[in-house]
Amino acid sequence: MSNPPILTVGGLTKRYGRLTVLDRVSFNLDAGSIVALLGANGAGKTTTFKCVLGMTDFRGKVEVAGKSVAKSGKDVRKLVGYLPQTPGFADDDTCLEALRFLAELRRVPLNCIGPLLEKVNLAPQRDVRVRELSGGMRQRLALAAALLSDPPLLLLDEPTANLDYQSREELHDLLVQLRGEGRTIVLSTHFVEHVADIADRVILLKDGQVALDQATASLFTDAGKDFTVHLNGTASASFLAALHSAGIGAERVAPARPDLQEAIRRALAGKAEKEESCQ
Amino acid sequence: MNAVWTIAVKEVRDAVRSRWLIVYGITFAVLALGLSYLGERNLGSLGFDNFSRTTASLVNLCLLLVPVIALSLGASSIAGEQERGTLSYLLAQPLARWELLAGKYTGLVVSISIATIAGFGLAGVFIAFYASTMDATTYLLLLGLMLALVAVMTGIGVVTSVVCNSRAQAMSVALLIWFVAVLFFDLVLIGLVSGASLGGRGLLVGLLLNPIEIVRVLAIMNLEPDLTVLGPFGSYLVEEMGKGTATASLLTALAVWEVTPMAIATWVFNDRRA
Repeated sequence: MSNPPILTVGGLTKRYGRLTVLDRVSFNLDAGSIVALLGANGAGKTTTFKCVLGMTDFRGKVEVAGKSVAKSGKDVRKLVGYLPQTPGFADDDTCLEALRFLAELRRVPLNCIGPLLEKVNLAPQRDVRVRELSGGMRQRLALAAALLSDPPLLLLDEPTANLDYQSREELHDLLVQLRGEGRTIVLSTHFVEHVADIADRVILLKDGQVALDQATASLFTDAGKDFTVHLNGTASASFLAALHSAGIGAERVAPARPDLQEAIRRALAGKAEKEESCQ
Repeated sequence: MNAVWTIAVKEVRDAVRSRWLIVYGITFAVLALGLSYLGERNLGSLGFDNFSRTTASLVNLCLLLVPVIALSLGASSIAGEQERGTLSYLLAQPLARWELLAGKYTGLVVSISIATIAGFGLAGVFIAFYASTMDATTYLLLLGLMLALVAVMTGIGVVTSVVCNSRAQAMSVALLIWFVAVLFFDLVLIGLVSGASLGGRGLLVGLLLNPIEIVRVLAIMNLEPDLTVLGPFGSYLVEEMGKGTATASLLTALAVWEVTPMAIATWVFNDRRA
């Protein structure tokens, strides 16, 4: 018998009064992948996470490793590591104290804290107070906290929003490493370019609905048949026109890879065209 | 270690680090010592039963200070977590909402109790040293009543914290409750009794509606059952029911006050979206 998906979301609907934030959102996630949950501000990304964590009521089905969030919210939260937009640590706590508190809440042996701090490169800061950490360090501390109970599913809400380029690269390397360990990572962001290199799959939320759900690789494949020619030197525009006849040899010819934002834009346009032709 | 205990321990640790609790502890101790000193020096030389009088002054001090600190710390508990952005992080952990609420409440009650015991204890040592008479049992009973009041008022503070949308709003409501319950309650009720002919039963219901008044009457009744000291509610109660029945009624009402606010807070908090 095959394992159930690590995350099953079916017909997820969430309303705040008259405002519908999520409207029949459905998707399944298998283990060991990085999924980018994209969408503009207010598209419903954080609300989706809150529903998966059972932090708010909703209509529809949400299951983590086959366990219903509505029925066993507390058990489900043991299986999910969560990194919120603003990591909620007490400023006066040291890194060690912050993790110890969460480890006790999650009933995790305290001896796992040291290796986790090393994993996120925070071992030298273990006795530094949270208020003295940089934004990147706080994010890494929050990631260590999310990993405390060795959860199979990680929900990371805008994890790169406040990070500089180098910290972002470090975080991406760490996420790739975690995917290699068999974890499923759902990464919400509205900065598409931040996840282009690591996401295996893209789910785009628009107006509370799934506007696109596709593998990243297929997005790039479908994005067009343009080519980039890398010349063995600098070439002027006029020179390009005579490229072939003049016998200037190209060093390497490879399919052009548009950025992910452009790939998504083309995929959505293609989808709209198909829908129009069906009508 | 279960979740309630873990959160309670963290709450106590945070309270010890916080300046609020230290300021409260020091203020309480200084005022209690000052009152005890003045009470012993002035009243003792006049030949009064200085233990009862000094302790009665201490009770009045407690009835002012304990509610204001318990209400305000209770009010800032959940609302403060929400404002700092730590509430949703806690709710994402594998714990039930009631466990979070119970843990924070327990931690707060323990913290405020430690400071109250410190202040009360210092004064007790002073009284024991200088007073001509010292009834340790009565003194401990009074301390117990004050700790019961800490639990009630913290619970009411937590209710305001889960009902209000911001810490400032919760604090304002909590201070308003303190102001009405401590300063205005007697006047309003006496006005109602005379103006609306509320009668004795009305007085009794009024008394049971205010936990601070319940504790005050219980404390004075056990310290010095003098009808003039007991005030209008206490005097009526003792005259109508007798001391035993009155004490039992007041203790029952206090027990109800111990559980009701937290039951309401849990119900509201469970129903509230994150």
